[in-house]
Amino acid sequence: MSESIIRYSGRQARAIKTFLGRFLGYGGAQVGLVCLAFFIVVAAVPDILVGPLQTAINATGEFLAPPSSQHVLGTDEVGRDVLNLVVHGARISLTIALLATVISLVVGTTIGMTAGYYGGVVDVWLMRFTDFFFVMPSFVLALVITPVVVEVIGRGQEILGFRPSLFVILVVIGMTSWAFVARIVRSQTLSLKERTFIDRARVVGSSNFSIMVRHILPNLVPQIAANGALVVAGAIFVETSLSFLGLGDPLQPSWGTLLSLAQRAGAASAGAWWYLGAPGACVLTVSLSFVLIGNALDDTFNPRRRVIP
Amino acid sequence: MIDSSHHKASLLEVDGLSIDYGLKGISSRAIDGVSFALRAGEAVGLVGESGSGKTTTAMAIAGLLSPNARVSSGEVRYRGNRLPIDDDAAMRPHRWTETSVVFQGAMNALNPVHRIVKQIAEPCMLKLGMSRGEATGRARELLELVGIPADRGAAYPHELSGGMRQRVMIAMALACRPSIVIGDEPTTALDVITQAQILKLLGELRSQLNLALILITHDLSVVAECCDRVMIMYAGRIVEDGAVSEIFAKPKHPYTRLLIDAIPNPANGKKMIRPIPGDPPNLLTRPSGCVFHPRCPSAIGICATEVPSLEKCGQGRVACHLHRSSQQDRVSVHA
Amino acid sequence: MSRRIGSILIRAIITLLMVAVLNFVLFRVIPGDPAALLLGGARTSVSAEQIEVQRQNWGLDRPLFPDQVLDYLSSTLRGDFGYSFKFRGRHVADLIVERLPATIVLVGLAQFIAIICGVMLGLYAGWRRGGAGDNIATGASLALYSTPAFWLGMILVVIFSTALGWVPGYGAHSPGAIAGSLDWLLDYLRHLALPVTAVALGLVGQYVVVARAAMSDVVTEDYMVTARAKGLTGGQMLMRHAFRNAMLPVVTLITLNLGYVVAGAITVEAVFAWPGIGGLTVEALNARDYPVLQGIFLLLGASIVVANLAADLAYGLLDPRVRQ
Repeated sequence: MSESIIRYSGRQARAIKTFLGRFLGYGGAQVGLVCLAFFIVVAAVPDILVGPLQTAINATGEFLAPPSSQHVLGTDEVGRDVLNLVVHGARISLTIALLATVISLVVGTTIGMTAGYYGGVVDVWLMRFTDFFFVMPSFVLALVITPVVVEVIGRGQEILGFRPSLFVILVVIGMTSWAFVARIVRSQTLSLKERTFIDRARVVGSSNFSIMVRHILPNLVPQIAANGALVVAGAIFVETSLSFLGLGDPLQPSWGTLLSLAQRAGAASAGAWWYLGAPGACVLTVSLSFVLIGNALDDTFNPRRRVIP
Repeated sequence: MIDSSHHKASLLEVDGLSIDYGLKGISSRAIDGVSFALRAGEAVGLVGESGSGKTTTAMAIAGLLSPNARVSSGEVRYRGNRLPIDDDAAMRPHRWTETSVVFQGAMNALNPVHRIVKQIAEPCMLKLGMSRGEATGRARELLELVGIPADRGAAYPHELSGGMRQRVMIAMALACRPSIVIGDEPTTALDVITQAQILKLLGELRSQLNLALILITHDLSVVAECCDRVMIMYAGRIVEDGAVSEIFAKPKHPYTRLLIDAIPNPANGKKMIRPIPGDPPNLLTRPSGCVFHPRCPSAIGICATEVPSLEKCGQGRVACHLHRSSQQDRVSVHA
Repeated sequence: MSRRIGSILIRAIITLLMVAVLNFVLFRVIPGDPAALLLGGARTSVSAEQIEVQRQNWGLDRPLFPDQVLDYLSSTLRGDFGYSFKFRGRHVADLIVERLPATIVLVGLAQFIAIICGVMLGLYAGWRRGGAGDNIATGASLALYSTPAFWLGMILVVIFSTALGWVPGYGAHSPGAIAGSLDWLLDYLRHLALPVTAVALGLVGQYVVVARAAMSDVVTEDYMVTARAKGLTGGQMLMRHAFRNAMLPVVTLITLNLGYVVAGAITVEAVFAWPGIGGLTVEALNARDYPVLQGIFLLLGASIVVANLAADLAYGLLDPRVRQ
């Protein structure tokens, strides 16, 4: 008994090892992982790195001062240190993007798997529903839904540690970016449910739910992971755009909010490249990292061909 | 039409040709010292399992080696002149005008977005310098020649049946009046009846146009139907070469014998096919000596150590220690 | 053929209906009286009785479903999106129509440039897969693909407007320009330079990536081997056999994008204060001008659905296999 378990885990370990070997063989994956690790560390301990988030009250620098030894990335229009803002922004941007992705993957997987597994009328209607979200970009939907929902719930108290508008943004992004995942999961489920091991589970008397969770879901992990990385990149993009348009919250500034503040302060026409350059470069790096990791994952799991959405 | 006067000189000579494929720094030999000659109007079958080198041999003759292929020794001569088979650009004038190819599974071999008449006419315009009108006229003639009404030329490939598409492929191969046509598994994807029709068509066209035909296949029965001669390839080497009638009647190489035994023949009451034991050879870890010896039912000591050369044996050639003139002495040495 | 088009049309109509219904629902969710909201901009000049009349005209005294939904749909179909809060008393439809040309010029020009450059570069990279040119083009386009276009716009302003002073980085016209003159046109084009570049750069990465993927798929197809066997030169193989097949997915993407770029240009317009739909969106967001926002959402939804429809139909025209 114990022997078979050992052999099984040995096989699994070997599979993981070959996967990692191939995945890490891609230059893009290496670059992406290194950049991402850096930003995750930064986002994890912003207070240790640059102290608490500066506000207009406790700002120390000159107004719109260029980079110097005191302020490596210069200051903003009220004298706050841009490095301080960007490091704290990393935490907010990454958290929103990752949580939105979690929501998106859960919704997409549930709908895709249900549609694929049950088929028939369920499939038809769920997919028609999915079609709508597939066609309408998350950004466009979030653009109208976010301000309305924020208006309804009010702008006062924080929700689960987020300012209301940020919380709404992350939920709305999550709820509007799952269609691609749902489509892929559905088609995978359709082919998986024809396999013999599913029949075996059915004969043994497993419930539909347990077949989906125990037998189908584990086989979907590669697809979900590869697309999850791309969903994160998309979520960062949408969050940055929405915040830039003023839907973020200045009390919890994400990179997009910083860009929005920079725009309002006229940083571009004042030539304050450090103010708007730093948050944008962060968005570019993180988002590119996720795209590279997603592509490398896709290449590893599915070397035949790849289509970038 | 086929008369012996055409058979005098060799149209094509392959001489000690060895080709390697490089993949991620690992080089593997696809064909190893292949030599044979082809006369005008002759139909030769090139038979072997996948990975036996039959396709590489044919692609080398057609000048279609892939960029990672390297000619490590030997050469190919066409009408006495050496062909620059490892130079893609230099081979271009030779292609289709001298040697054309009928690819397998004509669905993907035909461009899905062009009408078939345009695809047949294309080489006439580009290679023979015909005007669009002349080329279209020729394409329509060729369609009729392969038994497709010329009006069907306006069709797209997906609108035709598999057999029709294969006919279009044949018409296209004849466009520039080549002297050699290579059939790369031309009937593999077709049902038995269509397969027979296509083979019959190829046979008729061959005698009508005095084409030399090289038929690549893993199916000996296809060869029996329309070839004069057959060469059996195994792991990159020719192991037996001879007239079709002779090889079917008296196969010399053990591998040939197993191949013939593997053909189902209900007429003889042989309902069960006998599979060849063992796995096809791995080209990266080629066995020593005769490449077939690990699977050979009649292998002897020397087979594992010494490579048998392809030597004349009766009317044909065979590469097997069991058929060497000096076989007895060598066996006794090792015994 | 007609069955295929029929199902495509039905899908498009369903999507549009869902856009309208979502709009309706969002609108009723906002606290406050819809009539007051709709007439909000006109509130000062309209009496309470007039609001009550309007309430009845719009059927706001009747049940939400189905009466109000149907009324909403029919008024939407007639192009009646209500009144703006911010631009006192003006029809939302008028505002949108007024702002649309500026966006169409910006997006159209940027699309044109991005398509020409991106598709050619992508097809070339796919054709010469694995070469140095391919690696550079792919790397650069993935980076552009991951970069928000509006940020590129800000960087462009810093470099070309603030530092170098070559072109203006704000608005569409210099003050005091006389409309219609040649100087006016040149001034307009100078104002257009940076926003167009930003939108085009934002699009080009995606075109390179998709065109490259399409071409990489095509070069491994059997018919390319046939073309090579026919003795065609590389250029002939590319132009006669690879190009059209590789363009199939690319044309689909281009057509789809025509629907998305109006939305994509919103942030870029915000950077340059471009007087188009994007500028209007930002103003509406800042003023919580919901009727305008709803109107813009309908416009974006409709353009996306129409683009999807066009993409499906274009694919059918280009690919004889679908035409059947």
